[in-house]
Amino acid sequence: MAHAAEHAIEETTTGLNHRKMLMWIFLGSDCMFFAALIATYMVYRGQSLNGPYPNDIISVPITTISTFVLLCSSFAMVQALAATNRNDQKWIRIWLLATAFLGAIFIGFQIFEFNSFKNEGLTLGANLFGATFFTLTGFHGAHVTIGIIWLLGMFVVAMKGRLGPASSLDVEILGLYWHFVDIVWIIIFTLLYLIAGFDTGPAPLAGG
Amino acid sequence: MSSSPQTEQGHHPSTKQYVLVAIILFAITIVEFFIIFPNKDLIGTAKIPVLVFLSAIKFAIVIMFYMHLKFDHRMFTMFFLAGLSLAFAAGIAVLAMFAALGGEPRAYASANAIPYVEGEHGAETTKPTAVPLPTLPPADSTAPESKAPDAAPTTAPTSEEKPSGGAGAAVSLEIGTNGDALEFSQSALSADSGSQITLTFTNNSSVNQHNWVLVKTGSKDEVATAGTAAGPGAGWIPPGDDRVLAATGLLDAGASEEVSFTAPAPGTYQFVCTFPGHNFSMFGDFTVK
Repeated sequence: MAHAAEHAIEETTTGLNHRKMLMWIFLGSDCMFFAALIATYMVYRGQSLNGPYPNDIISVPITTISTFVLLCSSFAMVQALAATNRNDQKWIRIWLLATAFLGAIFIGFQIFEFNSFKNEGLTLGANLFGATFFTLTGFHGAHVTIGIIWLLGMFVVAMKGRLGPASSLDVEILGLYWHFVDIVWIIIFTLLYLIAGFDTGPAPLAGG
Repeated sequence: MSSSPQTEQGHHPSTKQYVLVAIILFAITIVEFFIIFPNKDLIGTAKIPVLVFLSAIKFAIVIMFYMHLKFDHRMFTMFFLAGLSLAFAAGIAVLAMFAALGGEPRAYASANAIPYVEGEHGAETTKPTAVPLPTLPPADSTAPESKAPDAAPTTAPTSEEKPSGGAGAAVSLEIGTNGDALEFSQSALSADSGSQITLTFTNNSSVNQHNWVLVKTGSKDEVATAGTAAGPGAGWIPPGDDRVLAATGLLDAGASEEVSFTAPAPGTYQFVCTFPGHNFSMFGDFTVK
């Protein structure tokens, strides 16, 4: 209903907005980036020669909570876009800030987790588990952090009252990025925590 | 679809639909959680396909509704799916490539580990055997610079430690491992100073190699680090280290060995397994009265 059509119409060869197209192509390539890291984790799964092993330190309940937080932030993000399309200035700001805040809580959980792992002896160089785990989840955390910075930038624009149906696409593209970070976490949570989180030392399942 | 260049904006789901999607996502996550918690084997081996399926549903719901692919121009879907398929294919290829090598990489690595020494190239100091056997005998006679005495029980400096003339009563001690856990069966041992100890160490693990090393108190981690540097040819024990008071050889899973030594001067000592990484959980106090 609330189209951005009143905004200046761009002529493109595909009839599709270039920036949005760019974001989708980027997300497609980012899939490959994460697939490489996930495949590396799975290849080295259960191959660590010494501990700590996942079963010693992974806390599924705590990570389930942080997963909920990230899901909530995705919901807040779609509400921010809906508010932008309604030109509801107050709720644009509230939902954008809520999204950034929930993302920050997720990062807080991750910092807490990394720190407690470090105290238990798991570092990037401790074993194959540490190397592959921190590389994968660390890059995901970096994506979330970039998203938070982007959200806060958008919040500043919103505070100046410059967001509305005309800039719907700006918020939508930010939303695409944010939801992508969420779906990557859906995969990581399932593979690294729910499935591989109980791996003990010697690997009975070779080859994952 | 062709009337306006902006039709790709499509229509977005209503708030009601967004809430419904959020509830479905939450519900699936809760189901996933209870599949593996508190009982991780609630549905046995079915859990992997079930969890992968559930997360695939969540993935699809988010991209269809939150990212509007269901309502958007198909070209966006195609670009994203192209990347996703390539990603999937690359992931499968990597897994297949490593699976094709066969065998047990971990066992091979365990038997052929070359210690990494900061600032040095670790290669060439230990010749890996060609056969990927998980249970390499500790003293590989082909290892060129194995400076360790040999694989036999190392009865390290004990004679000069004798405090009193010859009050050497014979004492037998026994210790094992708690199955496959990286733990000794006892966290403390004790003996009288000067007694002639015969300690029997049994490796009850079905997979891991272990040893039993008596060291000066507080030095277990340092000795283990030095042992890692000494390498598997030395049985993971630093040769000629004066912190090591007695030690068994490196025992394969299920093996047992006796080591005899004279109890040192009264005080507290530590025993530890120096196989790399085991020292964090495999250790205990040895009290000499």
